Amino acid sequence: MRPLKITLALLALSLSAQAEEFRWAGQTDPQTMDPHAVSSAPVLGFLNNVYEGLVRRDAEMKIEPALATSWEPIGDGEGWRFVLREGVTFHDGAAFDADDVIFSYERASSEQSDVASWFAPVSRVEKVDAYTVDIFTTAPNPIFPDSIANWMMVDSGWAAANDTTRPDKDQGNYATLNANGTGAFRVTDRQPGLQTVLEPFDGWWGEAEHNITKATFTPIQNPATAVAALISGDVDFINPVPIQDAERLDGRDGVKVIKGIEARVIMLGFGHDHETLNFGADEGAPNPFADVRVRRAVAHAINVPAILQTIMRGNAEPASQLVSPAMRGYSDAHAERPEYDVERARALLDEAGYGDGFSFGLKCTNDRYLNDESVCQAIVSMLAQVGIEAVLESMPVRNYWPELREDAFDAFLLGWSPGTFDAEHPIRFLVATPEGNLGTWNFGGYSNARIDELLPAIQSEIDDAERQAMLDEAAAIIQDEMAYVPLYVQPLVWGARETIELVQRPDDFFILRWVRVN
Amino acid sequence: MTDATQAADATAEKPTPKSRFSRAWQSDFAWKFRHSPVAIVATLVMLVIVLSAIFAPLIAPHNPFDPSSLNLMNGFTPPGAANQFTGDLFLLGTDDQGRDVFSTILYGLRISLFVGVAAVLFAMILGVTLGLIAGYVGGWTDTIIMRIADIQLTFPSILVAMLIFGIAKGVTPVEYRDQMAIWVLIFAIGLSDWVQFARVVRGATLVQAGREYVAAARLIGRSGPAIMMRHILPNVLSPVLVIATISLALAIIAEATLSFLGVGAPPTQPSLGTLIRIGQGFLFSGEWWILLFPSVTLLALALSVNLLGDWLRDALNPRLK
Repeated sequence: MRPLKITLALLALSLSAQAEEFRWAGQTDPQTMDPHAVSSAPVLGFLNNVYEGLVRRDAEMKIEPALATSWEPIGDGEGWRFVLREGVTFHDGAAFDADDVIFSYERASSEQSDVASWFAPVSRVEKVDAYTVDIFTTAPNPIFPDSIANWMMVDSGWAAANDTTRPDKDQGNYATLNANGTGAFRVTDRQPGLQTVLEPFDGWWGEAEHNITKATFTPIQNPATAVAALISGDVDFINPVPIQDAERLDGRDGVKVIKGIEARVIMLGFGHDHETLNFGADEGAPNPFADVRVRRAVAHAINVPAILQTIMRGNAEPASQLVSPAMRGYSDAHAERPEYDVERARALLDEAGYGDGFSFGLKCTNDRYLNDESVCQAIVSMLAQVGIEAVLESMPVRNYWPELREDAFDAFLLGWSPGTFDAEHPIRFLVATPEGNLGTWNFGGYSNARIDELLPAIQSEIDDAERQAMLDEAAAIIQDEMAYVPLYVQPLVWGARETIELVQRPDDFFILRWVRVN
Repeated sequence: MTDATQAADATAEKPTPKSRFSRAWQSDFAWKFRHSPVAIVATLVMLVIVLSAIFAPLIAPHNPFDPSSLNLMNGFTPPGAANQFTGDLFLLGTDDQGRDVFSTILYGLRISLFVGVAAVLFAMILGVTLGLIAGYVGGWTDTIIMRIADIQLTFPSILVAMLIFGIAKGVTPVEYRDQMAIWVLIFAIGLSDWVQFARVVRGATLVQAGREYVAAARLIGRSGPAIMMRHILPNVLSPVLVIATISLALAIIAEATLSFLGVGAPPTQPSLGTLIRIGQGFLFSGEWWILLFPSVTLLALALSVNLLGDWLRDALNPRLK
């Protein structure tokens, strides 16, 4: 009996030792392990492997049950009732129940949270019994379950014991470096900026589709270095592949390139509510971007087709709105973007009294979006051609958001991927007047009374045609006012070794539980 | 050769005092130079590079610092071929922004050379001053200065430079960072390089301080600083010259390294290191010219300065006579 056991144990050991260790690299390290502290794709995408929400998205981005097994509207659009999955445990062994949902709501909707705007339509959350929760909304909200796929559940006991009942996005706390979710993987080693090691969670409620025994994430800031690491076999997967390298990489043996269109729109934002310019030679002068003609001039001065042709090498589509055509609620009536027209841009500037141009500060990331710094440099030279001097400062994304939050910009580059895959999302985050849970990423402080009026109406409208009409109106206002200058829809370019099976989701989330190492 | 003999003949015929030039031409030093092909070639290469950097605005076909002159459609034009959209021709091709690589190199050289020379000057002034004081005053002053130097020597100079750069970036207001970047670079590289000067000058000063002429100067009542500056300094300068030349090559490379790492010259004022960093992104995709030409230029510059420094060391070393 005993020798057999040992043989079996040895066999199991040798089987599990066979590869299945998966190593991947990304350009940005998730800044935090706290699922409520930073609402950005690198963080939420990574933590989707560790934490789970009531619902989750499948490979086609459709909503499916996760920690809730079913949900239904309460009464006549008063809210939603979620029935929770029983027998779910957190990584530390604590059981998951309704109290954790209530706590996670309080934590995620608190003032210190970065994801609070997800809960703007919520009036209160009530526990019905240990496995039923009612979420009441201020108005009927047909898309509410769609909007909370990234609202991840945190254990109330664990948070209380480790003094992390509220997220801390600036200073960080226990949850910044440690994680305790219910997801398929648990964090076994976290070294910010160096590596993060995940291992499958034995007590996971779901059935594992992956065959990974250990997964190591390493941030590699320089995309060319990441490509070299993939070719040499140091890593199994990289995201992103620099666009210029995609073609050559695809031709190599042993590696493959996976391309898709991301839901992310790259755009230029302005300091709408700034009284004066903060940077450049005209520092202190009245803010020219307060004038819509100047914003339109900028839009006409930027040669988007040329950017797509050279820097993006034909791998991206121009954008006319804050969402891509693949999103729900995209306005077909406003599919045209301002064409490249230097004469028109000059005329508009002249009209606005800036015939001699002006100088301002442009902020840009250099490690967040594909070729972001190159795009910004190209914008600088295009604006120079209509007489506007843009003083470019590009920086890594970890310094970028704090700078924008401190209003240290005149104009900035931003990429936005709607977490709900709906056109309402960017209106809520980027366009609504910043107040409370609304407009939390509206760094420029754009404000339009009609938009603020439309937003709750859009959120509560059940009739598709009515809803679309309102979304069309909002799209028209945003275009007309040039609140942002949408540039292009970013492509997704991933690279992997040929032996890796994976699923590319259009939100650029890399979901480990779909990975198979062959 | 013929010129040299003619010049020698001409001066031999005339009884008049020799001109400054011919005296210099006939000196030991010049003789060594004329008989070292390496030194001649290195000097020529360096001269070409330095002159083309100085006269960059006259030579360069484009001004890469004027963003309004760029056309993005010119991006990625290969060297010597016409662009497929605009038909423009570029000697060494263009980068991703449609910038002429040849012009960018010329302008980049200016920044690399300026930072290199200024950093070495800074290190030299600091190092020579501290070395003189340490060697002449001696005692506690000597101990403190030289221990600081020893401690700094245990840190790799690039690390010191990065540290200073990081601190300076933290304390300067955001809007001045780009203008400050070049000066911070000079300060950072200079500060990480002064130790060599200090050590050599201190050693030489210790030797000179024991000489009779120094004792004589002291006897007639000259002050310490005056003795150091007027009497000792001229006698310790020749090794300083050698170190300065070799340091120049190192400073240029240090600047390139820092800029390559993204903490040096900003992309709006690209030095050679910044250009190499940009070019590196296109290594796999086949646009080799963006990386190759700036790298070759940097190599040629650093190599020629280094060879010249080596030759200078040998030529000025009395033991090798």
